[in-house]
Amino acid sequence: MDLGFYTPLGAEALLTALAVLVILLGSLMKKSGNLMGYLSLAGLVVSLGLVMSTAMSAKLGQVFFFNTISVDALSQFFKAVFLVVSMLVVIASLSRYKDAKGADEFYALLLLATVGMMVVSSSIDLVTLFVGFELASLSTYALAAFDKSKRNLEAAMKYFIFGSVSSAFMLFGFSLLYGMTGTTKIAGIASAALSNFAPATLVALIFVIAGFAFKMALVPFHMWAPDTYEGAPALVSGLLAAGSKKMGFAAAFRVIFVALLALRLEWYLAFAILAALTMTLGNVLAIWQNNVRRIFAYSSVAQAGYMAMTFVVVGAALGQPNGAAIAQNSIAGGLLLILGHALMKMGAFIAAAVVGYMVLKDGLKEGSDPDDISNYAGLGRRAPITAFCLLIFMFALAGIPPTAGYIGKFVLFGSAINAGLVWLAVLAILNSALSLYYYLRIISYMYLKEPAGPKISEPKGYAVALILTMIGVIGIGVYPQPFYNWAMQAAAVLLPH
Amino acid sequence: MYADYAYLIVAMPVLAFVLCIFFGWHLPKGGGFFTVLATFGGLILSLGIFKEIYPDKIVHQSIPWFANFNVGILIDPLAIVMLLMVTFVVTLIHTYALGYMDGDPGAARYFAEAALFTAAMLGLIYSDNLLQLFIFWELVGLCSFLLIGFWYRKPSAAAAAKKAFLTTRVGDVLFLAALVLLYNNMASLNLALKPGEYLLQFPVIYAHIAQIPPTQLTFIALCLLGGAVGKSGQFPLHVWLPDAMEGPTTVSAMIHAATMVTAGVYLVARMFPLFYAAPNALTVVALIGAFTGLFAATMGLTAFDIKRVLAFSTVSQLGFMMAGLGVGAAVGVAAVGVSIFHLIGHSFFKALLFLCSGSVIHAVGTNDMREMGGVGKYMKWTAYTMLIGSLSLAGFPLFTGFFSKDEIIKIAYEYGVQINYLPYIMLICAATLTAIYTFRLWFVAFTGEPRSDYHKHESPWIMIGPLVLLAVFALGFGFFAQSGFYQYLDTNFEHYGVDFHALGVIGGHISEAGAAGGEGAGEPFIVKILPYIIAIGGILVAMLFYYWHKLDPGLVTSERDPIRRLLLKGYYQHEIFTAWFAETVVYGVAILFNLIDIKIVDGVLNKISEVTVGFGGNLRKVQTGVVQNYITAVVLGIVVLVIVIEIGMKVGL
Repeated sequence: MDLGFYTPLGAEALLTALAVLVILLGSLMKKSGNLMGYLSLAGLVVSLGLVMSTAMSAKLGQVFFFNTISVDALSQFFKAVFLVVSMLVVIASLSRYKDAKGADEFYALLLLATVGMMVVSSSIDLVTLFVGFELASLSTYALAAFDKSKRNLEAAMKYFIFGSVSSAFMLFGFSLLYGMTGTTKIAGIASAALSNFAPATLVALIFVIAGFAFKMALVPFHMWAPDTYEGAPALVSGLLAAGSKKMGFAAAFRVIFVALLALRLEWYLAFAILAALTMTLGNVLAIWQNNVRRIFAYSSVAQAGYMAMTFVVVGAALGQPNGAAIAQNSIAGGLLLILGHALMKMGAFIAAAVVGYMVLKDGLKEGSDPDDISNYAGLGRRAPITAFCLLIFMFALAGIPPTAGYIGKFVLFGSAINAGLVWLAVLAILNSALSLYYYLRIISYMYLKEPAGPKISEPKGYAVALILTMIGVIGIGVYPQPFYNWAMQAAAVLLPH
Repeated sequence: MYADYAYLIVAMPVLAFVLCIFFGWHLPKGGGFFTVLATFGGLILSLGIFKEIYPDKIVHQSIPWFANFNVGILIDPLAIVMLLMVTFVVTLIHTYALGYMDGDPGAARYFAEAALFTAAMLGLIYSDNLLQLFIFWELVGLCSFLLIGFWYRKPSAAAAAKKAFLTTRVGDVLFLAALVLLYNNMASLNLALKPGEYLLQFPVIYAHIAQIPPTQLTFIALCLLGGAVGKSGQFPLHVWLPDAMEGPTTVSAMIHAATMVTAGVYLVARMFPLFYAAPNALTVVALIGAFTGLFAATMGLTAFDIKRVLAFSTVSQLGFMMAGLGVGAAVGVAAVGVSIFHLIGHSFFKALLFLCSGSVIHAVGTNDMREMGGVGKYMKWTAYTMLIGSLSLAGFPLFTGFFSKDEIIKIAYEYGVQINYLPYIMLICAATLTAIYTFRLWFVAFTGEPRSDYHKHESPWIMIGPLVLLAVFALGFGFFAQSGFYQYLDTNFEHYGVDFHALGVIGGHISEAGAAGGEGAGEPFIVKILPYIIAIGGILVAMLFYYWHKLDPGLVTSERDPIRRLLLKGYYQHEIFTAWFAETVVYGVAILFNLIDIKIVDGVLNKISEVTVGFGGNLRKVQTGVVQNYITAVVLGIVVLVIVIEIGMKVGL
């Protein structure tokens, strides 16, 4: 066997081995300090290097393991997103889980979740896709309960039940597809004559969409998200919103665009309903929340609605004479928004973690909510780095230039207009305006209210993660061209040639 | 080699900005030395680049930004002389500010904003495309706003900052309109651009001016001029500049005398081929410039605030520069060299005058000249450096201002011979008044007896040093640099192969370009010696009134004299622009719109938001927190989706 052939999968192999190593070391060492964290960080950095070097090389498009795993521009784009998110979680965790009991398990689970997401982004077979999906899901179920508080357990339990039901739907959908086409290969399903099996195809399609929509948190499959994001450890919520949500998109992109292209009209309609509902309800509900993490959760739901526009635009564009270019642009816009949202939302949750830490230091009153917006009063003076970074993330989420959030929205909404979906673009823009209400509300608490306590020293891990994220968010906004080119290249993978 | 690091000229002040704003509070003098060092580094780099490219090379670097735009650096003769001037003058002003701002609690903020300003100004100068120039243009505007309002707790400073921001905004909108118009025109040419070329890059613009329809060119040129008028304080958008003196004096020297306000002139010079090709555009430039020159000089005659006199003088001199460009209709591209030479010379002596007046204000504690008097006895250095600056501004023979201003008047005469004498006459009058008001200022402030009780001490050396250096340049720059400067700048547009003859045909300029080269061969003797007469004569008049006191201003005018009142009131501009136009007309219209806004627009919006928020309030009850309900919702969702899509397909959506 030629090991060199498998080098494009080196990142996954490295992270898996590292996860096992971390667990082993953790059981052998009594007190490990931050060793596990630094090990994981090193592993993630090296993996990111490997992923990027493959993304730059000409070897893209290779397939492995009997046509089940493909290393192409799309998979590398998503892998880079997942790795960056995990890196940020690890950097922030260096402050949070220093000397904590079970830190080794935390890092191992995090690494395995990352591997799962990476496998999903590379899968071109429904079975590998499902396995990757479950690997990531099971790891994050455990992570969501990691601090073992009552709130953690409730959050994890809801996430788990909801996840299981969705997995069941997804698996049911997959098995229907297998029954109809006799194959689990995405390319095989695409070439089979699905239309003979109507109306079972529609049921299969909706079941598959429901399975993915759970991860993407589209309305009405979103209900676990606010409860879980609120209750889980803040960094894990960040991982769920920034990483595992994107895994849903990675899977849905391949399955919907490639395997189920024949059902274009059906999924076009389904996603038109889902996207419009999701962005509107997400924003409207966010207005009512007083818990900042719930605001972030609903904002995340709304952002998923924008991202889901990609499906609608592609569905509409492919029916038009010169639709391929519009479709490519729209997928690129979706990918840019995914990249940008991963950074902005991760940063926002890290900031929430800093506030949680600050409130704990102040001495939490019995029965009060550590994430309540009143705790953000005067954050600009109490924790200036955190407040400033959060300010940038809020502006970025609202889509104000020059930030990553703006570029993604600009490209995506522009493609919607080009595809003739003016109503959708207008709805999305109105929603963006609506979202300013709750983003500005947080900013006004941070900068216009009197601080409730003294200045705190911000833990280094959190601060470093926040500043890195902020640089990324602004960097992409100021110099978007390379990211756009990369996203266009990734988008080309999904379109028929 | 130096050119490879050209980006550092902007990057270093940006770094200084970051350092000052985050760490300046903990450092002595607000971390001002970062700003000084960063600017000084820019000066060294600029000198290195100048050495490399002089006399016949340019530097052009560019990287793609996004879509059809790029980020780039273009250093040609026009840019390098500006870079050298700005880095040099601003380094001195920052150094002076180390002394001037010492002890101010906001020193760190001052040096941070000053560094950001420096970065933006330098970026503006060597931008290689109009969009990037516009971005930096807005950034200098922002810094100007922040620095005018530096003492933001003072209501007058806050008001002045707002006024400056809003007034220049009018110009900026016009500039933006020009940008959009130009881009659309360029895009509609369907050019086959080579890799590395972009629509708004200056070389690309220069190469394709001739293909744009002439009426469009005039539109673009006039809109650009609107931007320049706003930024350079030309009539009728000059109203913000005198008020801008509310900022610290170093800010006045740096932004409102030496650098930012010249950006408008620089813009017109940079786009000179376009102005030249646009019919009638240069005529407007010449008339606005000459009129502003005269108009502001008359107001300088009556102001009592030492800084306001200098501010009016700045407006007036900027008018000279604009007029100098405008008369390019007759003399062609040579006008750019003449105008920019005055710009550079003016920066030296006007920065000097402002810094000297800052020194005086520092000691006396007031801006009012009537309370000064005899300051020269106690502040020798300040008095004599200011004398040099004043002689230069008045255009006394052999001083810098003489060479630069004389040349503008000379080409204005040539313009008169060929086209129209009006600009020439206005400029001659303005130059006479300049000499008078300058020496009125100097005599009233520095000679005679003290008219109030003030600290009689000289400023510290960190403030005197820059004054002396600037004085050297105000004295000698014109004499030594003039001819080489013109030759060098005349080559500026040759690098891009601009054919001024062809452009002149489009613009309707009858004469051949470059006629100014002949040493004014056809001028009558009186025109030749007139600059000497007005400079020396003006100074003598000022001496008669304010030094020897042979004549009393009361003899010439009286309290009830309508002309005097007109001038004192600044032509009733406040009454016309602010009290009548802004507060009656605009405000009245605003009230009307406000009513519509509150009653109709807000009413509808409030209703919508009430409904939305109420909807959300009801909706959130669905989120019960009970998992069973959630799963039910999922199943329901799936069922509804299947049914809706099935029906949709049947109906044929």
